[in-house]
Amino acid sequence: MKKTIYTVLLLLLVFTSCDKDFEELNIDPTKSSQIDAKSKFTATLLRTSGERYEAWRANLIYQSTMMQHIATTTGYWVGDKYFWNQGYAASLWDRYYTGPVKGIEDILVQLRVEEQPAEMIAIARIQRVVIYQRLTDLYGDVPYSEAGKGYLEGILTPKYDAQSDIYADMLKELEESAADLGSGTSKWGDADLIFKGDQGKWKRYANSMMLRLGLRLIKVDPVAAKNWATKAISGGVMTSNSDIAYIQHTPGPEGINKNGNGETFTADGSPRLSKTFVDFLNGDPRLPILAARRSDKSTLPADLKGLPNGLDGDLLKALTGEENTNAYAEPNRAIITGEDAPMFFQTYAEVEFMLAECAERWGLAGGNTETHYNAGVTAAMKYLELYGSAASISDDKIQAYLTNNPFNSAKALEMIGNQYWAATFLNEYETFSNWRRTGFPNLVPVNYPGNETNGTIPRRLTYTTSEQVVNAANYNAAIAAQGPDILTTRVWWDKQ
Amino acid sequence: MIQKALKLFFLICVLGFSSIQAQTVNGKITDALDGTPLPGVNVIIKGTGIGVSSDFDGKFSIDVKKENAVLQFSFMGYATQEVSVKGRNVINISLVQSAESLNEVVVTALGIKKEKKSLGYSMTELKGDEVSLVKETNAINALQGKVAGVNITGNATGAAGSSRVIIRGNTSLTGDNQPLYIVDGIPIGNDNNGSAGMWGGNDGGDGISSVNPDEVASVSVLKGGAAAALYGSRAANGVIIITTKSGKQNKQGLGVEFSSSLTIDAVNTDLQDFQKVYGQGINGEKPQTEFLAFDNPTSSWGAKLDGSNVVNWDGVSRPYSYAGNNVDKFYRTGATYINTVAFSNANDNTNYRFSMSDLSNEDIVPNSDINRKTFSLNLGSTLANKLILNTNVKYVRENANNRPRLSDSPGNANYSVAVLPANVDVTFMDPGANDDGTERATSSNVYATNPYWAAYNFRNEDQKNRVIASASLRYDILDWLYVTARTGIDDYTRKSTSVEPWGTAYKTEGGMNEEEKRYTQTDSDIMLGVNKNISEKFSTNSFIGASNNAQIREQLKLNGDKFIVPDLETVKNTKDQSTEYAYSKQKMSSVYGSFEFDYNKVVYLTLTARNDWFSTLSAPGKESPNNDLYTSVNTSIILSEAFKMPEWVNFAKFRAGYSELAGGAPNPYSLGLTYGIFGQGHLGQPLGGISNGSIPNANLVPYNVDEIEIGLDTRLFDGKLSVDIAYYDKTTTKDIVEVSASQTSGYGSSIANLGEITNSGFELLISGTPVKNDNFSWTSSFNVAYNNGKVVATNDTNSDINLGEARSQNVQISHIVGQPYGVIYGKAFARDDNGVIIYEIDADGVPRAKDGGNKQLGEGVPPYSMGLNNAFTYKNFNASFLIDAKFGGQIFSGSNAGAVARGQHLMTLEGRENGLSVSGIDSATGLPFTTTVAPKNLATYWGRISGIAEAFVEDADYIKFRQISVGYNIPSELLEKTFLTSANVSIIGKNLFYIQRSVDNIDPEAAYNNGNAQGLEYYGLPSTRSYGVSLNVKF
Repeated sequence: MKKTIYTVLLLLLVFTSCDKDFEELNIDPTKSSQIDAKSKFTATLLRTSGERYEAWRANLIYQSTMMQHIATTTGYWVGDKYFWNQGYAASLWDRYYTGPVKGIEDILVQLRVEEQPAEMIAIARIQRVVIYQRLTDLYGDVPYSEAGKGYLEGILTPKYDAQSDIYADMLKELEESAADLGSGTSKWGDADLIFKGDQGKWKRYANSMMLRLGLRLIKVDPVAAKNWATKAISGGVMTSNSDIAYIQHTPGPEGINKNGNGETFTADGSPRLSKTFVDFLNGDPRLPILAARRSDKSTLPADLKGLPNGLDGDLLKALTGEENTNAYAEPNRAIITGEDAPMFFQTYAEVEFMLAECAERWGLAGGNTETHYNAGVTAAMKYLELYGSAASISDDKIQAYLTNNPFNSAKALEMIGNQYWAATFLNEYETFSNWRRTGFPNLVPVNYPGNETNGTIPRRLTYTTSEQVVNAANYNAAIAAQGPDILTTRVWWDKQ
Repeated sequence: MIQKALKLFFLICVLGFSSIQAQTVNGKITDALDGTPLPGVNVIIKGTGIGVSSDFDGKFSIDVKKENAVLQFSFMGYATQEVSVKGRNVINISLVQSAESLNEVVVTALGIKKEKKSLGYSMTELKGDEVSLVKETNAINALQGKVAGVNITGNATGAAGSSRVIIRGNTSLTGDNQPLYIVDGIPIGNDNNGSAGMWGGNDGGDGISSVNPDEVASVSVLKGGAAAALYGSRAANGVIIITTKSGKQNKQGLGVEFSSSLTIDAVNTDLQDFQKVYGQGINGEKPQTEFLAFDNPTSSWGAKLDGSNVVNWDGVSRPYSYAGNNVDKFYRTGATYINTVAFSNANDNTNYRFSMSDLSNEDIVPNSDINRKTFSLNLGSTLANKLILNTNVKYVRENANNRPRLSDSPGNANYSVAVLPANVDVTFMDPGANDDGTERATSSNVYATNPYWAAYNFRNEDQKNRVIASASLRYDILDWLYVTARTGIDDYTRKSTSVEPWGTAYKTEGGMNEEEKRYTQTDSDIMLGVNKNISEKFSTNSFIGASNNAQIREQLKLNGDKFIVPDLETVKNTKDQSTEYAYSKQKMSSVYGSFEFDYNKVVYLTLTARNDWFSTLSAPGKESPNNDLYTSVNTSIILSEAFKMPEWVNFAKFRAGYSELAGGAPNPYSLGLTYGIFGQGHLGQPLGGISNGSIPNANLVPYNVDEIEIGLDTRLFDGKLSVDIAYYDKTTTKDIVEVSASQTSGYGSSIANLGEITNSGFELLISGTPVKNDNFSWTSSFNVAYNNGKVVATNDTNSDINLGEARSQNVQISHIVGQPYGVIYGKAFARDDNGVIIYEIDADGVPRAKDGGNKQLGEGVPPYSMGLNNAFTYKNFNASFLIDAKFGGQIFSGSNAGAVARGQHLMTLEGRENGLSVSGIDSATGLPFTTTVAPKNLATYWGRISGIAEAFVEDADYIKFRQISVGYNIPSELLEKTFLTSANVSIIGKNLFYIQRSVDNIDPEAAYNNGNAQGLEYYGLPSTRSYGVSLNVKF
């Protein structure tokens, strides 16, 4: 009998309840079921600023070269010659939807569930607009109302919203959010890397964004553009460089902490400043700050030569006799290419240029175009000091520039557009959008053999190829509405 | 369920012990020929149906009530003997092998040995020498071509790389499709420790490679669900049971065995044939300056090679003529040394075998090597009367250096060598470092790494310490009732260091990481078995049991970026440091039973049932089940005994079975959304967010695999010919799939029980002995298998599932409903109704093949596989060769696409002097056109073609002369005066040549990882031929 007991005991050892503790076992000990929204918000802000992946591909390889800020003879810098690399073109899409979009949608649900203060929700809503504005400006019709809700609402294949609807909703979001903001410090506090919870600054940022978005409509709906600009100005836009919306990056310790453009410059020695840009900066105190000769780091204006866009090594040699691309200027690695550089979302200079445009077009903002233009140029030169003291430009130099290059009301919109272009260097998302909207500067397209666009500057970047497979119905509907998924298709507000 | 099972145990136990104690007869059963113990012999008291089986040492013990009882000893393949007890307590007996050995014993599920004829399902057993004769660095690769329905792919990832083993097609859309490996009774982990993807990487090796080929006694392949139902969900992909050698066979005291082999691997330079007529340059011109040579390093669109002096990338002028085969120049001759020494012994109570083995491989990539030391002890002991203990302990220590990088170009020497124009000599790139310690860049593209820098300055080391140990205890409670308990552990720690050195062109400050992975799998089971003749004609061999399995994975990682002191390669010496930690634990509990009945050894019927509980499907408050009960039934009918057969039919068996199987989610923690803090904060603020990249699903339930199998097994013409044919049809439903979600949902995928896939096919094995006489014998076997895999459902909308993409981003491996498993899907030509390619004529006059959108371009998994094995013996010589073949699959060759764009491919020779005539349909007019592409525009023309994936999807069909061996056994007369008892030497050859191959320039088996996305090739290692010699002596 003893044996029987031993046997049964042995069996019992193995048998003790088949799924006891299984529920607890299947909870990841390294994760939590919810965390403070603040840490999510900080991460979402950094992801909006972006990482190397899309900074390299969408911002620099494509837009900075199309916008002739940057030029290069290197083949994979496809934007320089209007080639089509679908992976590069879709890089912002690939990172934004699974990064900041997913993050901000989750944050907003949490804030509402937790019944957090309206000001917190308002700031998150403004940030949401910042995120989607980049996406829709670059791609056109994009998933918006159903995006980022794979878990929250079980939507695996979001529909693409028309850009007209997205703009209407984003403007409404900005208006409502601005109204919810007061003047104190937000509960976000220091988790808000942009303004440290300063509600007043967020309010001015919201109105400045409203001004930007409103003006985007200038070609497609000038009346609405004026109405929104009027509303934005009366709500109060940025008033000084201390209102600039930017994130201060740090040199590490990880990729997310770093400035994505800076990481690109660390990794890639091929970009040079475009001849178009260097020529524009002739006599401009910004030139030795933004540019340095690749070969010897010289910043003497006489040594700074811009590389023409749209050339390979052979063509460069044939055209200029020069075959050493190190003889050309590159972004000044001593000042602006750091991995700890600030990343700008919207600057006060841009706002002043928009006010100048509003004054010029409609007599808004006091009606004095030149005042706003000069304030914009001044701010655009002054704000560079956020890159460090080496980038500081004295008031004398600014004044000298304005004296030598006075405002000419006959060419008001062009001068404003050109200065906006110079002021948004490295924030190429904004450069590209504003160029499409205004047509300034009047860039001469390149026509490299075999280019994708028949020698015209692209009007958008293309969707990620996986959408053709995993979200085919919505993708096809978007193409049917917007036009073929190619570089030359215009987005809704970019009416011909 | 548990209570019921427990009650049953009680009942059986109580019944067992209530029987009357009587006289006990002990004894040992041996083979009359060589004296080896015979396990599994049926010992029956004649006329009662009471019986026992002999144990692993041939020992038995049976209680008899009558003094004049007669014991009947029967064992398949041996003549049955009857012995009267006559009051004796000890009866030792030798059995004589019967002339016609139609029966064999095989190791089946849970280590239970069965007569093969009783099996109602298909299984194949290979003996150890079939694995060890021609040794592979990863022993499992030796099964290639030898087992019908087992599809093995050893990839182009280096000698230390992983294998992909698929039995009867892929059963899961996105899960692991590789079989469960059981080594000496316990499951071992087969995790992949890293593999290359579209962005590069290297193959970190798999779990099964730890098995030492010299120690394998047998390999059983349980192909179907019926065969594997007793292993539960883990057996959904089939089971491979490896039994290692033990000391049992020893009969003359201490035995020492020594085997040694050397295999030389040489790059097979016959596969790749690039043009050698035109050299580096662009627009049909040689590089005029150092800068242009450096800026267009891989362009073979230069002038005709003329022997003139032309400046190279390094500023040195060299003759503009064919520089020789760079592949041959860069890679070295690899070598593998395997030395094993084993000691074994056995006495009445104990047997053991201890072995030590050392495997050293120098891979063909310079500076890349692996060393594997294996220590193994198998110990069998009779602890007390009727109580037997078997233990196995293996310790494996593996060191690998510089596993080669694959796929994408950064750090991938294979890429950098493959792309060189004909006049550029790779050896001038040596050394890879400048005097200042930075990479000696050979190109303006920083991502094309100097191959010598990649080989000698990149550092990639890993060490794995692994213990696989198991113990089993069997106690014969009664003559017909036994209990077996078994427990085992597979535990390893793998430490790896990977360094991208300071000065690397694409990462000037460098970086590194240190990683430690820990894996522990514990597995225990307990089983109560009955082996009883119910009456003279009916007997049963049944058992019930329970088991527990747990797996823990833990990963620690230290990352460092940007070295401060250039040549000090330690994480502390980096500017950006970070840590990672991951942990997962999962468990499965099971109860099971198997009930086999036979009638007169003519008709066998087996029923099994099993219930598994899965921790990965458990969550607080979850309402859907976390467990499933599933059953199987199979039968085997020995037709040749049941019916009168023609004389030439010696044996015929019909078998049929139906089985169900259920499985849990592959990974824990996939039921709920979780959040984590990551990174190290920013300006003092913590960073947090959603941890899931995939949308979790709280309602996951087990998936199911149902399978029907029928088969016929015959031996004909006095055993000269045997034919075994099997047909199966299996369906996977509720497959847990990561359904691709649009990224715009915020997630890459979601998890759901939505997959459905079917596999049906046949397997045919024909083997025979055409010639057999005293001096010469020839045996031949041919196997062929066809598997028709079909994706039935992928998700709610049945949209495609993307399994993996090539670096060129124009082709992927996808599941498309209604199509075979993992088809090649990518950018195709636009064609008119007649299939003529449509072109757009650009402003520059160069036709551009119109983008025809993405289309299905091929099958990634070849449906047909076959093997032909021939073995000869002549006196003391033996020889064998193996030919294997696969048909019906395709492969996308990224290397060929690149070679076309770069002007290396032979097809780019046409029209270099006078232009290339291109005809097609002009998309603008819809009319046919013919135009001549000027020589200077060929690079543009072919560059555009290279972006169309369709142009580079080729048939992966092949017939390969896989292996050959010639051996000589030194005659025993010569050994008599030495201390040796046996000695043989063999010479072998592996992968010597292709009899047929469809794809150009690459090896059709050149995939770069062993995952589900098969059918993509992208700059892996070149294929090799191997030659070797091995020696085996015993004393």
